[in-house]
Amino acid sequence: MKTRIVWLVAVLNASPPMVGAQHAATLQRPTPDAALSPHDSAFHALNRLAYGPRPGEAQGVAAGGVMRWIERQLSPDGIDDARLARREHQFQILDDDRGDLAAMYAAVQRERRQRKLADAPDTLTDTREDTPMVQRGRRLAGECADLAVLRAALSERQLYEVMVDFWTNHFNIYFAKGADRFLTPDYIEHAIRLNAMGKFADLLIATAKSPAMLFYLDNWESVAPGTSPPGRNRGPKGINENYARELLELHTLGVDGGYSQQDVIDVARIFTGWGIARPQQGGDFEFHDWAHDRGEKHVLGVRFQAGHGMDEGIRLLRLLASHPATMHHVSRSLCQRFVNDDPPDGCVDDAVAAWKRSNGDIREVLRAIFRGPDFWAPGNLRAKVKTPLEFVVSAVRAVAAEPDTSPRLAGVVARLGEPLYLHVAPDGYAEKEDAWVNSGALLDRMNAAVSLAAGRLPGVTVDLDSLVAPAGAGQLIDAINEKILGGMMSENTRDVIRRQVSGIGDPLQARALAVGLAIGGPEFQRQ
Amino acid sequence: MSISRRVFVKSGGLALFSFGLDPLFLARAAFTSYKPLPPSAACCRPVLVCLFQRGAVDGLNMIVPHGDPIYYRERPRIAVPEKDVVDLDGYFGLHPGLAALKPLWDAKSLAAIHAIGSPDATRSHFDAQDYMESGTPGVKATGDGWLNRFCQHDREHQDTPFRAVAFGPQLPRILAGTAPSLAIDDLQAFGLRAPQPAARDRLTRAFEDLYAGSATGLLSTSAQEAFEAVQLLKHVDPAQYRPENGADYPRGKLGKAMFEIAQLIKADVGLQVAFADVTGWDTHVNQGASEGQLAARLRDLGQGLAAFTVDLGERMRDVVVLTMSEFGRTVRENGNSGTDHGHATAMLVLGGPVNGGRMLGRWPGLEPAQRFEGRDVAVTTDFRDLFAELLARHLGARELSAIFPGFTPDAARFPGAIRA
Repeated sequence: MKTRIVWLVAVLNASPPMVGAQHAATLQRPTPDAALSPHDSAFHALNRLAYGPRPGEAQGVAAGGVMRWIERQLSPDGIDDARLARREHQFQILDDDRGDLAAMYAAVQRERRQRKLADAPDTLTDTREDTPMVQRGRRLAGECADLAVLRAALSERQLYEVMVDFWTNHFNIYFAKGADRFLTPDYIEHAIRLNAMGKFADLLIATAKSPAMLFYLDNWESVAPGTSPPGRNRGPKGINENYARELLELHTLGVDGGYSQQDVIDVARIFTGWGIARPQQGGDFEFHDWAHDRGEKHVLGVRFQAGHGMDEGIRLLRLLASHPATMHHVSRSLCQRFVNDDPPDGCVDDAVAAWKRSNGDIREVLRAIFRGPDFWAPGNLRAKVKTPLEFVVSAVRAVAAEPDTSPRLAGVVARLGEPLYLHVAPDGYAEKEDAWVNSGALLDRMNAAVSLAAGRLPGVTVDLDSLVAPAGAGQLIDAINEKILGGMMSENTRDVIRRQVSGIGDPLQARALAVGLAIGGPEFQRQ
Repeated sequence: MSISRRVFVKSGGLALFSFGLDPLFLARAAFTSYKPLPPSAACCRPVLVCLFQRGAVDGLNMIVPHGDPIYYRERPRIAVPEKDVVDLDGYFGLHPGLAALKPLWDAKSLAAIHAIGSPDATRSHFDAQDYMESGTPGVKATGDGWLNRFCQHDREHQDTPFRAVAFGPQLPRILAGTAPSLAIDDLQAFGLRAPQPAARDRLTRAFEDLYAGSATGLLSTSAQEAFEAVQLLKHVDPAQYRPENGADYPRGKLGKAMFEIAQLIKADVGLQVAFADVTGWDTHVNQGASEGQLAARLRDLGQGLAAFTVDLGERMRDVVVLTMSEFGRTVRENGNSGTDHGHATAMLVLGGPVNGGRMLGRWPGLEPAQRFEGRDVAVTTDFRDLFAELLARHLGARELSAIFPGFTPDAARFPGAIRA
């Protein structure tokens, strides 16, 4: 413990261009050959805190000091992101407020009802034109997914975008479930993005109150038994435990978090009445007093006195947000994301300590992980396989490509197995490699890589000249190794690419093939 | 596969078929004198084909209880008239759209089960499909699907990359999980893509060399599997495949999927679990009776299944096809000549190993008091009892309780779909 404090002080006092990574390595591993070069540290940080380096970026980060770059990434508001902002303007979805989306939902519902009642009997072959609003409603999912890919690829606030993806999976919803087709955009923009690097408790409360989550996990129809909306005598039938269960199991305590089925039931009772206003009234969060169970409850041994309303839900969320099991569970997920599929205990302990110190400040927890020795341990370098999103975005960045504003690049991510916002189960997309690495998926990645390098991948414009001018095999391979693979190209890969390129007369074709092989090859699948 | 058997099926099968005897009957005859191939071959492993009728098929119009007057009373506009029903056992009959399956029933290769469904009462497509695929009704947090868990727990050393294949653009929930499984949208396009075959071979070799020499861990083994699969398919040559025995697959997604599943089965590439979606069953409005919307979907299904069995001929000996759907529909027709979301539905099981020619399960009756919540066919068979039986008795699964967590599989509750 003492050495760690000494080391922390050393890092904090380090003046650029000293590299924190070297301190980590030297203090934890006395052998000098384990120390990372500034370039290797930068490349590693760009692979984990960002969606991979753009050409030349690792050199820039190394020159300025990797710890300084990390500090900047931890304060995204201070990073200028004008280029992304210009591209975001092209997305109509960012101009739609909740009311617009609710109106779109109501229009689609109306259209469906009319169709059902229309004379044309066969809805399967109905070819009538949709109204523009209905057409737009159908395109929303693609628009949202492409916006996510674009932001990941272009934003200078890379760590922030990584965290948005992390929380989107931690607090998973499913775009294609009924009203979530229209509730998801607001969920991403407000619940997730506004809180991605703030306090965990605020993020938790935002997701709990979000119509998208209330709908996805059915809490909107969870009411105290025997109650019904004013003026109606039919309606939902009683409590629904879905949200309560996933809140404990996935969002906070974790499956081994020490709660019982009775806890689940009482949590569900606490959230009775947390509902959604009708689409005609904006579809916003709404607490229904009539539906709330005002009886006494007990959760994790804590008593919730009778007679309370929505306030007891907020109290419970705050209790859960600072529960030791939650700190451990969420910290473990973060270490899994940033360090290793099997997160080292030391990393989790550091993160939990920072969580306690900072009262759940996500940036402090992240800072602890990035300053910890495990993050820089040589055994954890390139230890993780990229998810499809990470693969596609890192490939786009590696060749300095420019995504367009169609949903096609997100379509590539979907074809590789990770259609965004479309993971059905509440556990979100997996972080571990065995969910992503299989024979079909690998072939798909190779095809995508070859298409991207040849300029044939839809949804993206590639300019390989900015990477390397057409050149002889040796020069070409050196450039690819340095800029795309961070100097990690194996001898075998070098030989294979050289052999393949040697038979091609056209230097542009040779370059495209070499880049395609590098991106589709094994080194680039790792981060 | 030995040449002599193929020739036998080709020449004899066609002739007999024209006399009204289906090739499956022939396959039975052939089986008695059939000598198994050496165990080294991947040939002839049992195959389970699952078709998911997404949207909740109206079980009562698929397998019609034409012997029950309540059926006709509750469905004045959409009941299938007695004269059109293809009778099975005097009480139940096939919708006329499924008439192509009657020979399979007569050959005792087709069984139907009614009143099957989920113990969970949800009428949400989303939730019910989710539960039917995860195999854990009522539990949303299950990350993987039951077909994948089968592959996880019953690993065999001769597994090939084609062991579990979903025919469609994306891996469905039912096959999600840690065991390798493939989603194949188009068999012909599987593998590396290049404009010419020579370029394709070259690219394939290049990546193969890259991964053989530079990859480690799971990346290495998966790549090895991938290139084995590409190699296997090259021999199969899907572009040149023609169905056998005069099989005529219907146009459309289902026909294409069945066609490709048959190819993979015959190619002996180790296929054990195949999955495909069949959509268009959510018939709230104007669903029709003997003709109409539902009839068109059923005809497509019936013709697809019939073509599949004809094409496979004697290979149906090793194959079981299961249809499933997330729930059934209301007993009473609604105001729009359709049906709304219900509870129990009907499923079909067909193939050589099937204990066919009979209805399975317990029929709860259609009296209002016998219904679920007064409106739907009640569930008398938990879908997991049927799924577990197919896994255990057809595919030889041993770890049933791991495949269906929270459920205690009991052979005494198996509906009896597979011949002992």
